[in-house]
Amino acid sequence: MEVTAQPGCPGERDGAQGDCMERVYFDHAATTPVRPEVIQAMLPYYSHSWGNPSSLHGEGVAALEGIERARQHVADLLGADSGEIVFTGSGTEADNQALIGAAHALREKGDHVITSAVEHHAIHHTAAHLETLGLRVTYVPVDDTGLVDPDAVREALTDRTILVSIMHANNEIGTIQPIAEIGAICRQRGVLFHSDAVQTVGHVPIDVGHTDIDLLSLSAHKLYGPKGVGALLVRKGVALTSYLHGGGQEQGRRASTENVAGIVGLGEAARLAREEMAQEAAHTTALRDGVIGGILDRVPDVILTGHPARRLPNNASFCVAGVEGEALLLDLDQEGFAVSSGSACTSGVSEPSHVLLSLGLPPDIARGSIRITVGRGNTVEEVDQLLQVLPGVAQRLRDMSPHRPAVAERGHHA
Amino acid sequence: MPEKAPGCCLDLRGTPCPLNWVKTKLRLEELEPGCRVEVIVDQGNPARNVPRSAQMEGHKIVHMVSSNGGVRICIERG
Repeated sequence: MEVTAQPGCPGERDGAQGDCMERVYFDHAATTPVRPEVIQAMLPYYSHSWGNPSSLHGEGVAALEGIERARQHVADLLGADSGEIVFTGSGTEADNQALIGAAHALREKGDHVITSAVEHHAIHHTAAHLETLGLRVTYVPVDDTGLVDPDAVREALTDRTILVSIMHANNEIGTIQPIAEIGAICRQRGVLFHSDAVQTVGHVPIDVGHTDIDLLSLSAHKLYGPKGVGALLVRKGVALTSYLHGGGQEQGRRASTENVAGIVGLGEAARLAREEMAQEAAHTTALRDGVIGGILDRVPDVILTGHPARRLPNNASFCVAGVEGEALLLDLDQEGFAVSSGSACTSGVSEPSHVLLSLGLPPDIARGSIRITVGRGNTVEEVDQLLQVLPGVAQRLRDMSPHRPAVAERGHHA
Repeated sequence: MPEKAPGCCLDLRGTPCPLNWVKTKLRLEELEPGCRVEVIVDQGNPARNVPRSAQMEGHKIVHMVSSNGGVRICIERG
């Protein structure tokens, strides 16, 4: 495994540290470092083959070749036909295109959309936009591990339902949804099925040839590719209304001059992911299980969030009782670890995410959320370093907190 | 659906220039030199441009036949 490229030197921002300490990046669900092979594949499309792929001359054809080669790599990763891949500017754009495009294309057929309570904002806020246009949206709940019950989707289907959108895996808690079962239910009822697979593409095998998926979103920067490029898989025979208007790029499915180098980067990342997915998943799963086991062993009053088994190979997420997740994140940052929290601090009060609340966690527990997402460049030693530091950081914050957990309180009074 | 020509699997009717050539080129790259691929393109500019591009890049046009509203081109990888 290569060494993960470490971003910047955050310790310098407040002048607290002169020398740049070794950083450990444990936030691969937020973004991944661009692999050197990907950068190398992209560079010629900035320095030499910078033509407009819509141009008919040689410069244009050279750029077009890069795009079409990338399209084939992405299609191969998904078990799709290359004609089914539409490049977009991001995973968010792919989600918007799927929902808005289906709603417009099928407005004669119906006006009801089903999604889940734990989707990314790219789905939830787009669904809310559809509601302002007069569509109805059903948000099916999840159980305490974050799983959607396929029967709940089946029961929510009506004669007016045009689209079901259920994510493949959750970005915060890592739970992998039963999309094959949900897709089969949708197919049986003749309803389009979309899955936001931004967290899984390149990490978890997906074969759309053998799954009832009509639309699927992905993003390059979650699989060691560049930011600013994604794709929407649109299965043959599925007609969407394009929501960007302009030129005829992407066979009329997405206007805009293509981000050629970005698309080439996505293609190379997809090619490498296809080759190395099994090996990488074995590596990250071992690290993930080390983090989960270590934290549950060493930090008292911690809850593992998400499903214990059906989870992303890189996701270890917890709620630490009696601690603000954001404070934990910032203290770990000072110690050299980049992690994430599902609680955002606004005006001094941490607000737990909709995902954590959907699990039925009490808000004061959900405020203590912390997410560690490992990647191909992480090592066992880095996990050990985190496990050495985290218990002390959590205890220090608990000692300072006015809301100590009930268990700790009892301890003090005993 | 178009008829399936022997040894042909690339139906590029409706695919504009130069995308039809780029798709042909990617298919040729999968072959060993001397192996052949057959493509069907639209009549008119595509039937002129695809063989011209193939020849410019060192491939050989084995034959071209009008077929089902398009032109079937057999190309041998150079």
